[in-house]
Amino acid sequence: MIRNPLVRAELVKARASRTGPALAVIAPITCVLWATLQALVFDGLDALPAASRVENVYAMAQQAYVFTLILGVLAMTGEYRHQTITWTFLTTPVRSRVVTAKLVAWGLVGLAVACVSALATLVSGAALLAVRGLPVLTPGVPLVLLGAVLSTTAYALLGVGLGALIRNQAVALVVALLWFMYGDYLLSSLAPDIGRWLPTGAARALSGMHMQAGALLPAWAGGLLFVAYVAATVLAARLVTLRRDVT
Amino acid sequence: MATAITVNNLSKSFGAVRAVDEVSFTVEPGAVTAFLGPNGAGKTTTLRMILGLVAPTAGTAMIGRTPYIQLTSPITKVGAVLEATAFHPGLSARAHLDVLRTAAGLAPARVDLVLDQVDLTRAADRKIGGFSLGMRQRLAIASALLGDPEILILDEPANGLDPRGIAWLRGFLRAYAHEGRAVLVSTHVLAEIERIAGRALIISAGRLVRQAELTPDSTDLENLYLEATR
Repeated sequence: MIRNPLVRAELVKARASRTGPALAVIAPITCVLWATLQALVFDGLDALPAASRVENVYAMAQQAYVFTLILGVLAMTGEYRHQTITWTFLTTPVRSRVVTAKLVAWGLVGLAVACVSALATLVSGAALLAVRGLPVLTPGVPLVLLGAVLSTTAYALLGVGLGALIRNQAVALVVALLWFMYGDYLLSSLAPDIGRWLPTGAARALSGMHMQAGALLPAWAGGLLFVAYVAATVLAARLVTLRRDVT
Repeated sequence: MATAITVNNLSKSFGAVRAVDEVSFTVEPGAVTAFLGPNGAGKTTTLRMILGLVAPTAGTAMIGRTPYIQLTSPITKVGAVLEATAFHPGLSARAHLDVLRTAAGLAPARVDLVLDQVDLTRAADRKIGGFSLGMRQRLAIASALLGDPEILILDEPANGLDPRGIAWLRGFLRAYAHEGRAVLVSTHVLAEIERIAGRALIISAGRLVRQAELTPDSTDLENLYLEATR
């Protein structure tokens, strides 16, 4: 199916290690838990119209982003941590090709995790809403799920870019998690006007979600902005860390 | 076959430290070339510059007539054994080789072949995390052989090998050179390398201080080394 040997080699690595498959299983479970929580607090959120609240249940498919982000970071920094980067660069000495192959391969892995997560969220969300006698679907639900799949996939790419830029695995993970679980939200609440321009704001726009403070960009613009962030981290990695000596 | 490796005025500085200082030499096919020198003399840095892992401050290193990083399928031209510990501990030996094999676009049968060559067939499906140092070293050699290269570059390959492993490696490198291929090997084990090397390059404090043809049974390599690195 996939012809490019470098991408195929990355997929062999993804299958062979234990962390990857484990995170790929935890991601949809987390989404189901979040969707359950949304369905349980449904009545308490009556400031929002019922249709938005239904969509918010399914929007929990986006919570898989943490795991695809981690997968991307681990994919790149694991090479430095275990010094397999030496074998990788001996086989493929043009280093930017390695990063490109990782972006493609882990984009595909991210897409697979995102699809499974969206499916799990859809099934569990619909069941919960039906059991509670609430409306199960709205016209906006397909777009919400599509947006969640796109943004979850995009976070895998951002993880690879960050991992290429920050070679130390522990540091890269801490930076990625602090930044994307808390940092952007904190900044957005301090300065609502810049929130939409941050990666999290862009991802939320892409996934059709709402932020409490400040309006988001349109979905397409959010998607483009997020891709620009990925491109910026990869470019920074090429200029700074990727060309460093491997000793 | 033409000259395998040509190193020309190669230099590398780490900050103020001149790790490698205008080193020039060639490595010819059909012989084992010993790369000798004290710890910190610049052997590893030189080998890593030849392999495109470390960028030279000045000078060039060519595989044939091409820098390593411009080779189209590098592991089919040059096999390298650099560090015994550089494996993902969660992978099996077979999976590790399969990743490299896939990335290089080589035939799947190569994996079983090199596993057999280094006598790791029985351990092929065990996790590398449980491997002994000697097994890791043999896996590193298997990785280097995957592309059936014309040139082998080995950094301290005897590290961690037991006497049987060392005897195997000696026979293997000798046979490899006899087939008309080039072998460049850095080592501290002079008595060992003396038995198979046709040439010695001695580096000290970043400078190439001696190049010598070796004749089995007539050259005292230890004396040569001690004199050159004084």
